[in-house]
Amino acid sequence: MTIGSQSVDVAGASRVRRGERPPLFARIAKMTPMTFLTVVALVYLFIMVTFVLASMRSEQSLLRSGAFGPLSISRLQFDWRQLEGFSSGIYFHWLENSAIVAFAGAAIAVAVALPAGYALAMLHFRGRRVLLFLTILTMVMPNTVLVIPLFLEVSAVHQIDKLLPVAVIFGFFPFGTYLAFVHYKTTLPFELLESGRIDGVSEIGLFMRLAVPLAKQAVALVFFFAFVADWTNYFLPLVMLPSSAVQTVSVGLQELITSSQLFNPSAAAGLNVQLYMPELAFAAVLQMLPVLVVFVVAQRYLTRGAMLGAVKG
Amino acid sequence: MAASRRRGPRVVSSSRQGRGGLTLLVPYVVLLLVVGIIPTGYAIYQSFLARSGSGFGGISAYQSAVTEFQFASSFAHIGLVLAVWLPFMFVGVLGLALLLHGQRSRLVGVYRFIYYLPGALAGMGNFVLWLFLLDPVNSPVRPILSWLGYSTLNQTAEPAHLPVIIALMLFFQGAGTWILVIYGGLNGIPEELGEAAKIDGASHWQVTRHIKLPLVRPWIAYFLLLNVAYASQLFLEPQVLGLATEGQISPQWTPNQLSFTFAFQVFDVPAAAALSVILLAISLVIGVIITTRTGLFSNRD
Repeated sequence: MTIGSQSVDVAGASRVRRGERPPLFARIAKMTPMTFLTVVALVYLFIMVTFVLASMRSEQSLLRSGAFGPLSISRLQFDWRQLEGFSSGIYFHWLENSAIVAFAGAAIAVAVALPAGYALAMLHFRGRRVLLFLTILTMVMPNTVLVIPLFLEVSAVHQIDKLLPVAVIFGFFPFGTYLAFVHYKTTLPFELLESGRIDGVSEIGLFMRLAVPLAKQAVALVFFFAFVADWTNYFLPLVMLPSSAVQTVSVGLQELITSSQLFNPSAAAGLNVQLYMPELAFAAVLQMLPVLVVFVVAQRYLTRGAMLGAVKG
Repeated sequence: MAASRRRGPRVVSSSRQGRGGLTLLVPYVVLLLVVGIIPTGYAIYQSFLARSGSGFGGISAYQSAVTEFQFASSFAHIGLVLAVWLPFMFVGVLGLALLLHGQRSRLVGVYRFIYYLPGALAGMGNFVLWLFLLDPVNSPVRPILSWLGYSTLNQTAEPAHLPVIIALMLFFQGAGTWILVIYGGLNGIPEELGEAAKIDGASHWQVTRHIKLPLVRPWIAYFLLLNVAYASQLFLEPQVLGLATEGQISPQWTPNQLSFTFAFQVFDVPAAAALSVILLAISLVIGVIITTRTGLFSNRD
């Protein structure tokens, strides 16, 4: 069926005569999915943008005109000073703690997952299938499930309130091992290992010379997913780091909420700073920035990662 | 092993492979033991102790966990959340992924990114965002909330609304990642398959129903099972929402919160351990089903 571009009316009329669907209907049917997708995207953007902008409005403006009042950039300085004033700037200390455990945890995860994934994919040894099964099994279990048992273990050796055990626990990232396993399985040819072995290269040497140079994408993926999981973890640091000085920022953010005049007026009566929605939004956005930076850096690897089943609760 | 025998050269390679390669596994196996297996064993051991902290208590810790009056209700709450969240997630994620997959527009990449964005901001950040949305005092959707008759956070977040609120929070932060996963699965389907069906006169819907959906079924099973496991572990959302609404929500709203209460408020460590073991068993069963039944992980070996 050809559509005469120069005689649209005639084509349309002939279509009606032949009893076909009118082009308008076809066009709407074609547009509806896109329109729907656009509406959903706009709702997402609306939610995120109004939230970020809330940090640039005063509480009075939010009360009076909701999320659509006047904006001021200088308001951010005010928010910053409130955070500085809260328990003598402990919020920034919490950010530091989060940075330490999340970076250390993700770095350990990469350093542990790469050789393990390589060995699982390329080497033959007894117990390989069992180890692979355990890896997949622990990977699909929610990471909250072991928090109380881990607490019992860590407190038995008197290591509560220390950052190191938290970083080590974060370093166990079976999903990372699985990513590295799939990565090497699909990128590293066995023949290469063969010829290396004939040349007398040791097994460790093979890993260092062949697998490490190929690791870039696996490193990016494992680091990204581990970092986000560690940074946003709430339950584990809540239990492992009960003292305020060693808390991470997700627990700290909860502390801000429970200290806020907005949600807990009686507890906030003695507070010398304002902690209303603009300040809370500011604090929340501030703690999102590191994740965003890592996200933007790792973004081009993500679709592939997700296709490998890159999801953990 | 079975897979490797099918290919000739790999059998040869295994005979030449040195022992040194196993060193590469040591850090991982040590962490698996210290962070996975030992704490599990220790929790099982603790769960059989007497509450006094000394001596064998038999199943008394399990009895006190199960007979705690919040026990049944905390699991019922999980059931309620799942009843709202799972269908919502299923329709939303699958619908958006299928719609995205049918489009040729350049915007598809942009939209995938936008849907994914809240996933990178998960946890407490997402929670503060939802406090902002739900508190009628500052909410950008205040007109909707006041039309529904809510003028304070305590009214919006009353306990009966919790399943819906938690479902919305989890959808917002989780759907985008799952859209990527299902979309990735759809991308793995050879295009000729759909084309051939269309030439044979299949409609768009028929291609979706009879070709696309069956081929991504393992992913859908994985998605549903993982989300059930995740929901059974809920902690942050009801916990902090309870803190923000001055105690109108039970601090033992979910099993994990109950376990937390046993450990840190009641100081009944064996009961906390027993409840953890029960939760662990649930996750373990779901995990084994995912690993062995969805077929997603069997062909990779």
